Amino acid sequence: MNRDWARLPERGNLTALRLIHWITLHIGRPAGRALLYPITLYFLLTAAPARRGSQLYLRRALDRQPRLRDVFRHIHCFAATILDRVYFLSGRLDRFDVRVFDDQLILDQAASGQGCILLGAHLGSFEALRALGVTVKHFPIKILMNTAHNQGMTRYLSALNPALAAMVIPISGGPDTLLKVQESIAQGFMVGALGDRVVPGEKTVHCQFFGQDTPFPAGPLLLAALTGCPVILFFGLYRGGNRYDAHFERLAERIDLDRRRRQEQLGEWAQRYADRLEHYTRLAPYNWFNFYDYWEEDAR
Amino acid sequence: MEALSPFELEVARLLVETLHLEEVQPEDIQPEEPLFGEGLGLDSIDALELALAIAKTYGFQLRAEDKDNRRIFASLRALSQHIAQQRIH
Repeated sequence: MNRDWARLPERGNLTALRLIHWITLHIGRPAGRALLYPITLYFLLTAAPARRGSQLYLRRALDRQPRLRDVFRHIHCFAATILDRVYFLSGRLDRFDVRVFDDQLILDQAASGQGCILLGAHLGSFEALRALGVTVKHFPIKILMNTAHNQGMTRYLSALNPALAAMVIPISGGPDTLLKVQESIAQGFMVGALGDRVVPGEKTVHCQFFGQDTPFPAGPLLLAALTGCPVILFFGLYRGGNRYDAHFERLAERIDLDRRRRQEQLGEWAQRYADRLEHYTRLAPYNWFNFYDYWEEDAR
Repeated sequence: MEALSPFELEVARLLVETLHLEEVQPEDIQPEEPLFGEGLGLDSIDALELALAIAKTYGFQLRAEDKDNRRIFASLRALSQHIAQQRIH
């Protein structure tokens, strides 16, 4: 997979983000949302790699040659969820219409006291999970996050709600990160992780995804196998306006890997994840927030 | 090529066994060679798997809060020294 995402700035451009959040909080969400149009246009015109990444992805997701207006809609959808983070992170969910699918699954898991892995993707708003989990239901949640990737943004978002910031397990690249995750799961925490971007140097497993052989990180599934905990999928899809759909779905009660068939079994679990990810991505195609050449098509 | 101490060899065997490193002979691991990235090429999942195996075999937990984790996991020699100091059984 293309590793360019680590080098692409999350072009949320901190100053613009602060400004739009300030406007949203002090003047209102409609005013903030009105600004999304010029901001989207600006990124559409200036962020060529992101535009290209979007086009390559949309061609698969829409099964047709995407037009510029499709790319605009894609970037706009991303910008809209970034704007709404200000509400999610400060716990103000009252103005949103959030439909939760299969919340019984997650309520039962929380009631059991057993830790688990909440596996998502760069699809829609993972922040919705933090908001749901912490400010609404008080689930014991921690989120594995690549904070080094965008330190300014991380600091800024942390300042919005220090309690939410305390839930973050930073990905350090050292041995500490997964030890921390393992300790957290053993303590009964639900640990959120995103399973759609490959980190250089980490193990991968190949799956069919949008009709293409695609490497996925093996880490989250191996982690589940090592800790013996369940894996629950989470996708927070943005549906336009003030609507979000939060989907929970069980991937595995536990992942047992037989020593001799380890790679093969791992591949089967990863394929199930890839299939569900493709299903939800097709449900909400503009929610795919990997704005780079995901399948390395230009490199071929 | 530097020979391993008997205890380093024991830890090397645990490492190879735990991580299913079929192409690696325990006695061939260089004691000062980095375990992660360049060198043996282990990743963060390997580190966790190794930490769990060490807990099981030697009876002590490696902790995420330990500031020395990078140093402990730097090489077979560093790891073996740490285990020798901390082991309960």
